[in-house]
Amino acid sequence: MATFSSTSSAHCASSSPAFSNNNRLHHHRTVSSSSIRFKQRFPRCFSVKQSSKAVHLQQDGASTMKVSPVKDDNPAKILKDGILSVPPVTPPEESIDNAKFDFDKENSTVSITVVGASGDLAKKKIFPALFALYYEGCLPKHFTIFGYARSKMSDAELRTMVSKTLTCRIDKRENCGEKMDQFLERCFYHPGQYDSQENFLELDKKLKEHEDGRVANRLFYLSIPPNIFIDAVKCASTSASAANGWTRVIVEKPFGRDSESSAALTRSLKQYLDEDQIFRIDHYLGKELVENLSVLRFSNLIFEPLWSRQYIRNVQFIFAEDFGTEGRGGYFDNYGIIRDIMQNHLLQILALFAMETPVSLDAEDIRNEKVKVLRSMRPLRLDDVVTGQYKSHTRGGVKYPAYTDDKTVPNDSLTPTFAAAALFIDNARWDGVPFLMKAGKALHDRRAEIRVQFRHVPGNLYNKNIGTDLDLATNELVIRVQPDEAIYLKINNKVPGLGMRLDRSNLNLLYAARYDKEIPDAYERLLLDAIEGERRLFIRSDELDAAWSLFTPVLKELEEKKTVPEYYPYGSRGPVGSHYLAARYKVRWGDVGSEQ
Amino acid sequence: MATQISPCCSSSTTFSSSSLNQEPPFASAKLFNFSTKSSTSRWAFKIHSRTDPKNHFNLKSTNGYPLNAVSLQDAEKPLAKELVLPEQTESNLSVTVVGASGDLAKKKIFPALFALFYEDCLPPNFIVFGYARTKMTDEELREMISRTLTCRIDKRENCGDKMEEFLQRCFYHSGQYDSEEHFAELDEKLKQKEEGKVSNRLFYLSIPPNIFVDVVRCASCKASSGNGWTRVIVEKPFGRDSESSGELTRSLKQYLAEEQIFRIDHYLGKELVENLSVLRFSNLVFEPLWSRNYIRNVQFIFSEDFGTEGRGGYFDNYGIIRDIMQNHLLQILALFAMETPVSLDAEDVRNEKVKVLRSMRKLRLEDVVIGQYKGQSKGGKTYLGYTEDPTVPNDSLTPTFAAAALFIDNARWDGVPFLMKAGKALNTRRAEIRVQFRHVPGNLYKRNFGMDMDKATNELVLRVQPDEAIYLKINNKVPGLGMRLDRSDLNLLYKTRYSKEISDAYERLLLDAIEGERRLFIRSDELDAAWSIFTPLLKELETKKITPELYPYGSRGPVGAHYLAAEYNVRWGDLAEDE
Repeated sequence: MATFSSTSSAHCASSSPAFSNNNRLHHHRTVSSSSIRFKQRFPRCFSVKQSSKAVHLQQDGASTMKVSPVKDDNPAKILKDGILSVPPVTPPEESIDNAKFDFDKENSTVSITVVGASGDLAKKKIFPALFALYYEGCLPKHFTIFGYARSKMSDAELRTMVSKTLTCRIDKRENCGEKMDQFLERCFYHPGQYDSQENFLELDKKLKEHEDGRVANRLFYLSIPPNIFIDAVKCASTSASAANGWTRVIVEKPFGRDSESSAALTRSLKQYLDEDQIFRIDHYLGKELVENLSVLRFSNLIFEPLWSRQYIRNVQFIFAEDFGTEGRGGYFDNYGIIRDIMQNHLLQILALFAMETPVSLDAEDIRNEKVKVLRSMRPLRLDDVVTGQYKSHTRGGVKYPAYTDDKTVPNDSLTPTFAAAALFIDNARWDGVPFLMKAGKALHDRRAEIRVQFRHVPGNLYNKNIGTDLDLATNELVIRVQPDEAIYLKINNKVPGLGMRLDRSNLNLLYAARYDKEIPDAYERLLLDAIEGERRLFIRSDELDAAWSLFTPVLKELEEKKTVPEYYPYGSRGPVGSHYLAARYKVRWGDVGSEQ
Repeated sequence: MATQISPCCSSSTTFSSSSLNQEPPFASAKLFNFSTKSSTSRWAFKIHSRTDPKNHFNLKSTNGYPLNAVSLQDAEKPLAKELVLPEQTESNLSVTVVGASGDLAKKKIFPALFALFYEDCLPPNFIVFGYARTKMTDEELREMISRTLTCRIDKRENCGDKMEEFLQRCFYHSGQYDSEEHFAELDEKLKQKEEGKVSNRLFYLSIPPNIFVDVVRCASCKASSGNGWTRVIVEKPFGRDSESSGELTRSLKQYLAEEQIFRIDHYLGKELVENLSVLRFSNLVFEPLWSRNYIRNVQFIFSEDFGTEGRGGYFDNYGIIRDIMQNHLLQILALFAMETPVSLDAEDVRNEKVKVLRSMRKLRLEDVVIGQYKGQSKGGKTYLGYTEDPTVPNDSLTPTFAAAALFIDNARWDGVPFLMKAGKALNTRRAEIRVQFRHVPGNLYKRNFGMDMDKATNELVLRVQPDEAIYLKINNKVPGLGMRLDRSDLNLLYKTRYSKEISDAYERLLLDAIEGERRLFIRSDELDAAWSIFTPLLKELETKKITPELYPYGSRGPVGAHYLAAEYNVRWGDLAEDE
């Protein structure tokens, strides 16, 4: 195994960050101080995304510049130097400049306020992710975490609540208890209404106390229902913004129900926040293999030549859950699977998959390419969609409820719990290639994967060895996002032995077999990115608009026409309609083949 | 997984109608004739299903004849008679191993024949004859053979019974290799065993090259089949250079037609070499990359971890270039680099191979590094140098290691170095093909790779031996926060996927020869082309008495190989740290 030198890549807690050669260190020292200072405020961790940070400096505009003590630095130069300067990690002792960095480190603080702290997401994902980052040494020296919600709770009660869901990473269990205590000491709680300026002012006061006069950077994580997004943003922004550091807000889906409501939400948010303060999270973009998609495409020679209509016959994005709403369908029923999974998670992955090569890996360059893909796409037509809803099913004496049996779901609900769709990108690279999506609840297994099916071999010499169904002999690249992360390429191979039998075997890379380290949760990556100001994995307003405009017409049509979903039994493979949809485009779902 | 063409011996031989449909009407009609003769035609039917019936029926002529013409391929045997007459099913196959007491015969040929028998790949009527100068009875031959027979790992049932049955079909005839009289006696014995059936005779010449022609003359004049085919398998060396090889071919052709000569190169029978064409031509994902646009260089590597060990007499006269490169590695190179053939038929494939060989530049002295191993003491054990082998002259300059850079001057491969490396007494034993791809142009992740971009190129490795495997080195993100890249493998390790033991190359090649499948045998024009690439260099090495670079027994070979690679801006893939 060859791991490449750590230039911009060291893992935050890596114990051997292989600092590159002196030559580079030297070069580093000459780089303009503000970009470096920013980058190196938390050197162990922030090493990771250096160049984008430089971009961020420019993007963050006023708020960041305030932080910079070297005001006369030309931002363009910072940007340039930031990109050109290679090594992000400089051990403080090694450079005179670092004295200043240390001073800076002493002088700035990050506070993360989880708005909606008593909710499920906060307990299950946000606090544990923050703890994991802390455990790995990725959080800055001075940080505080505030829970904010309506329930009355003391700091101690919050800590008790949080501590129940904290776990240590599998690969490093040492000092877990100790670390946990240290972490909990930094957690506080403030009860308040989501629409009360006054309550937020109180929060601001408490935050200031903890900030202790240092440069204050504030991150608000809105883990609350969409109807109170705006209120909370208004209050936080007007009454609890950082005075001399940055203020960023992470919002979770749903971002509206359609083009209009989404645009309205964006407009409202922008009354109080700049575009670069809004971090729209799509946690699928934080998944390891989704991150790896670009690495695969752009750092290997062998994939990119194949990455077009010339070789790719169709691409499939598949999401399946093996459970239903299970008594929590209230929110879901208002949205349905298309809004819940397709329009965001799957479409985002599609855009990453299909985009042209960006100018760089910086957030704006990547998001520019993604939005181009989305804007080249045809709005989805009703003909190209199949919807389904699960019905009850009894198996092995266990009765699994139907969707409408869920008490939180209206009995006559037509909300799809399953959908399959065929999308098209009308650009030079992808014209005519069907991009199939499939998402469903209460199916027979749980998985998320990308399947790239290649065309037939033209003039295949081995056709007669393959049999009548040539589709069984096409190559397929599968990127399995969950569970059991893996990449495999199905190839045709000769079965060893006399004779000439062909077999479809896999060239594969199973993560569990190669990497014994636990793969971090998507939320860890995304929270860290938000703290660092790395926007690559967050959705920009124009991306969101483009995404909605693809789905809005069909969503409206489904609702107006009251299209009845095709019923499928709980735990089945979903409605057969999806096969006919695939068949119309002369393709076949890869996940239901006799062998996967 | 879809299969149409099944191995001869698989019990689940399915012969689906669709494959029939794909055959030319003529061939399938024949096939139909056959299959109606249920029981007696069983083996023949199976074998037909194994490969393209066209081949089996010899519809395809050799190079120079129009394709699909019905040629008189095997001796004078008219095709129609051979195939259609009812008595054809009453044919008899005899395999005569000339040089039966030799090492190759004992270690490879008899065991391979037994394996074919065990797997039901041989026709119902077959006999095996050993022929050598040693006086021996049939019993003694059987005794000798039985010591080296083993059963395939995956089917050990009835092994003893099967072995008994097999040995009962083995006979021996002693005689001089240049005596027509003795071959006439052999012919008598064969006729006796054939009992008037159509006789097909295969001679396997497992003898030193200096007596090839004598044996061929005698066998052909006195022991050819009267009414079936006669084929002769010859093993390397096929001469020492263009002239001697041309001479040998001319002599052979005095007695044999081109289609009767089966020049064996057992590397072509290796599983992964067979798979090379399958990979290239039955997958969409490789062929677009298969050119100078994407491939930076290709490496063919052969190494043995032992020396001549007291048996250098033959080797010293040839050297590693003739012994390994000019044949095994060059053949694999030709298969690797050839254009897509019209079909998988022998003549089509060989036509493409010969085109590659003829497009190649003659090897220059500057593009070759030679080495010879010297003695080495390691862990208290002393390993002898090459010249310390008693069978090798003390002043021998024969290379036991060579590395070479070859070039194919055609549109597909212009400028791509094809590196070859072969050596004895090295640190490992392996044979592999490594395809190194170019850098990613404008790589976005450049900065994550560090200084050496060469470490970040993709590489496809086909490991022929040991532990057959295919793997593709790709760049991948190391899981975790941050962005560290890692070169990992997409891999297929045969032993984890296929539990079956991989058959020996000799089994495949013997079966092919019996079936008349010539794809894996070397045609005369291929041989000529191969020699003409190497002959000038070999002569220069010998006339200039170039001294090989000495390397210690068990080492990685002379460092000169690295400088040769460096000259073409590439790096040997087998010596990287991550291997």
